[in-house]
Amino acid sequence: MAFGRRSPGSSRHPPALTIVTALLFAFLSSAAAAASSSTDAMHNNNWAVLVCTSRFWFNYRHMANTLSLYRTVKRLGIPDERIILMLADDMACNPRNSYPAQVFNNENHQLNLYGDNVEVDYRGYEVTVENFLRVLTGRHESAVPRSKRLLSDEGSHILLYMTGHGGDEFLKFQDSEELQSHDLADAVKQMKEKHRFKELLIMVDTCQAATLFSQLQSPGVLAIGSSMKGENSYSHHLDSDIGVSVVDRFTYYTLAFFEKLNMYSNASLNSLFTSYNPSMLMSTAYYRMDLYERPLNEVPVTNFFGSVMKTLHTDSAYTGFLAAHDYETPLSVGDNLDDHFMLKDRATPRRSNIEKEAQLTPHGWTEVLLEQLEGKNTDTVVMYGLGAMGILLALSTWLSM
Amino acid sequence: MAAHSRGHPAMRERGFSPAGTSPYWWIRPCAGPILFLSLLFLFLFTAAAASAAAPEEEKFTEELLLRPLPDRKALAHFHFRSSAPPAASVGRHHHIFPKAISQLVKKYHISELELSFTQGRWNYEQWGGFDPMSTNNAKPPGVELWAVFDLPLSEIDATWKNLTHTLSGLFCASINFLESSTAFSAPRWGFKLNEGNLRYGALPREAVCTENLTPWLKLLPCRDKAGIAFLLYRPSIYKGYYHSQKLKLRSSQSLGIILDQTLTVVLQPNTVSGEQLHSNHGQLQPNWSMRHLFNRKLSGKCLVSKSSRVFIEVDKSIVDNVNKSGSDLSWSNELFVLSNSPDKLIKGQNHVEIQSSFLYVYDASNYTEEKPLDVGITWKLPLVWTCTPSPFHASRFLMGSGNERGSIALSFMSTNLHKQISGSPTDCSIKAVIFQVVPWYVKVYYHSLEIFIDGSRKTVSEVVDKIHVIPSEDKLLPGTLEMLLRFPCSMQSGTLTLDFDKGFLHIDEYPPDANQGFDIPSALVSFPEFSSARSYPEIDPVLGSPLLEYFQEDSVVKSYTEVLLVPLTTPDFSMPYNVITFTCTVLALYFGSLLNALRRRIGEEERELKKTELVSM
Repeated sequence: MAFGRRSPGSSRHPPALTIVTALLFAFLSSAAAAASSSTDAMHNNNWAVLVCTSRFWFNYRHMANTLSLYRTVKRLGIPDERIILMLADDMACNPRNSYPAQVFNNENHQLNLYGDNVEVDYRGYEVTVENFLRVLTGRHESAVPRSKRLLSDEGSHILLYMTGHGGDEFLKFQDSEELQSHDLADAVKQMKEKHRFKELLIMVDTCQAATLFSQLQSPGVLAIGSSMKGENSYSHHLDSDIGVSVVDRFTYYTLAFFEKLNMYSNASLNSLFTSYNPSMLMSTAYYRMDLYERPLNEVPVTNFFGSVMKTLHTDSAYTGFLAAHDYETPLSVGDNLDDHFMLKDRATPRRSNIEKEAQLTPHGWTEVLLEQLEGKNTDTVVMYGLGAMGILLALSTWLSM
Repeated sequence: MAAHSRGHPAMRERGFSPAGTSPYWWIRPCAGPILFLSLLFLFLFTAAAASAAAPEEEKFTEELLLRPLPDRKALAHFHFRSSAPPAASVGRHHHIFPKAISQLVKKYHISELELSFTQGRWNYEQWGGFDPMSTNNAKPPGVELWAVFDLPLSEIDATWKNLTHTLSGLFCASINFLESSTAFSAPRWGFKLNEGNLRYGALPREAVCTENLTPWLKLLPCRDKAGIAFLLYRPSIYKGYYHSQKLKLRSSQSLGIILDQTLTVVLQPNTVSGEQLHSNHGQLQPNWSMRHLFNRKLSGKCLVSKSSRVFIEVDKSIVDNVNKSGSDLSWSNELFVLSNSPDKLIKGQNHVEIQSSFLYVYDASNYTEEKPLDVGITWKLPLVWTCTPSPFHASRFLMGSGNERGSIALSFMSTNLHKQISGSPTDCSIKAVIFQVVPWYVKVYYHSLEIFIDGSRKTVSEVVDKIHVIPSEDKLLPGTLEMLLRFPCSMQSGTLTLDFDKGFLHIDEYPPDANQGFDIPSALVSFPEFSSARSYPEIDPVLGSPLLEYFQEDSVVKSYTEVLLVPLTTPDFSMPYNVITFTCTVLALYFGSLLNALRRRIGEEERELKKTELVSM
């Protein structure tokens, strides 16, 4: 009896039922699609992770490389709280160092890289592949203190600098383990999925450095290595007083570029990347920008190596950085009037970009639905969805009877 | 009661009555004065109470002590004390006391904690072993951490683990390696008498450098920008023969939190030896001043410090020499002259009331940047002196060869101190307490303890009064030894030996430089009958010097032995790679041959080629 009653009912109403189901599915999927188009966050902080992976006195130059970058990054504005410095051995107070508490990267000993205020986060035996990957992905044990965590968010630009001994698709950690290129790519992928960075610059100074980032596929990543596959990276010069080589060529020329800059310079990444001369480096500095959407000549180096933020002065109450409001960019020291106007011009299209990205992109006929729902918050949308589902359920049970 | 019965019912209902007609008419006119009097009394009482409980506020003092050492070196000891009153009276706001430390104390319920970072070995033979400086500030190399917690015993291990992580983040050191149970131990009486809530751990191989000093200085209110900490020129500190930075915390409900930060450095002053007198015999000590030690002069005190002083201390032997030569110990005498006249002179005595040291005090608040303080010492006559040693020089070494077994030996050499102190009868004995922690991979057999006194073997029960052993467990616990021994005063040399077997580590447990060897942390030898405390009978208590209070605290004579380096068997670390390569080669050959044998037809390719040629033609 039940069968007999159901079949004429179902043969009578299938078109209506399927239309309603299709409508509901389309609505839900568009809502899901709209929700997943991520609102692009604004760049609001810079982090630096500087890793030296070599131990033993004859690898003094790797320590000097990392400390040179540390000094540069601190000088250009990134504070110690946002620098994770990993040094695999202690060179400054090493018994073999005839200049205790001093690390030099040049024979002339003009610059003491160690200074008075260095803070090292991971030291000695703590610099392992496991700890490095934990720092990148943020998966620490609960007891690990905040100063040893990379607390970046979706508005961070991260500079990741690695130096040591490396080879084809690997980087050697402390002469006992290796970080492989697919491990690094996997960690970066996890970082991207967890929104731990907005843009990432990876700088590697080892032999065959470019192979280390060959497996990367996450967007927003820029990488430069000191040599290509099959090439070695060489040290710059030997300090006969200390007895070992004190700096590598790639880092030496990187520093030569940065020593001319100060916090307010707007030299671009393009000028940095093209400043490397293969004959001076004795290797080819190779960079990949296929995962990076901004053109390199528009990105100032202080976006990664420094910490300069644009100040947004506003008289209205804080409503979050996606709200549209007029602002005046203040004239900072050293800017001339042209720069000021350029900043303002650059700011206005950026603001409209933000607004554009913040809106939901409608697809075709769901525009109608979305216009209806515009101005209502997510709770009411969910209630509407649930209500529609409940109606559909009731309808289908009635039809099936 | 009588008043009630007299009262009008209507008025009682209303609850009050107009003046003059109520039974309480006598109160109202006097209510005013009574109220006023009671308020006045209350006010006076609170004022008295408030003034009686002296205004509790945070205090910071900084002091520096300089002392010439017999082997042409100089000792510099910086002492900073911050104290915070008990939390109830001041709440959670701090303005001088570092908030990181108070949060640490509250979160982990610490009642006492000491963390020291040391590089170098304290030379007990030359620099003394009997004074408060060597007792409290001679620390084992690397990191040493011990803490007493105010918690139930079951929670202490977990709290210790979290504490080590927090300290590693705070001081830029790998103190977190002390978290696992193989790295720390819980001595009962060998280190410090406690009820089981003390934990002790040491990392002998931890490097100590500027990055440990940076956060330590950030706990001071003036950092290293002003006051005595301004003198800390990093290259000269780390060029020294011994440097040890220590953080000591004491917290209680009644006293609040007291944080003592000390930095002890033994330096070679870089003086040009152009002004020396010609001497016939003995070594001439160098003339040095603060500029020679630190490259800087002291230009004033830290403005938030309650007091800021520099002490120059001369030892007992110098005091004796000066007294022998007949002059008094003013700042300019026949043996030496100080560059500035001190503000105060203090005599110190050791526990047997013999004058043991002399202090010249300079108050740093009298000096400014235009007129900095550069106090120094100039010697007039050549002088040789010695510092008082501990009753026995304790040292430790390894015996045996090979990678299977060995022995640890602790040797005691007498310094004949008892003769100096008491000129004693021959049936006295000196008690010594030994505390030693040995990692699990050095498996000590405690039953093999042998004791030799002056070359002849003694039974254990003759010499050992009390012994407490926590034997090691593989990969779980280190072996802890606490022993109370009684040596005869006349003993010239004594040795204890313990046999051990070397264990095997898993390949993942080896450090990257495994071929260097593994460290056994320093053992602690203390002599409970000898107190190294000083007393300063002539100072007024209002002087309020934490350094002198520290020296007056009761502490027994202690010395740390050397760290031992034990080479263990190391595997061939390339073997996993080799095994994988061999295995894969064998498997490839096997499967390759198998598939060839099953599927390959000889001459098949030529036949296929001929067929296609025929077809295409």
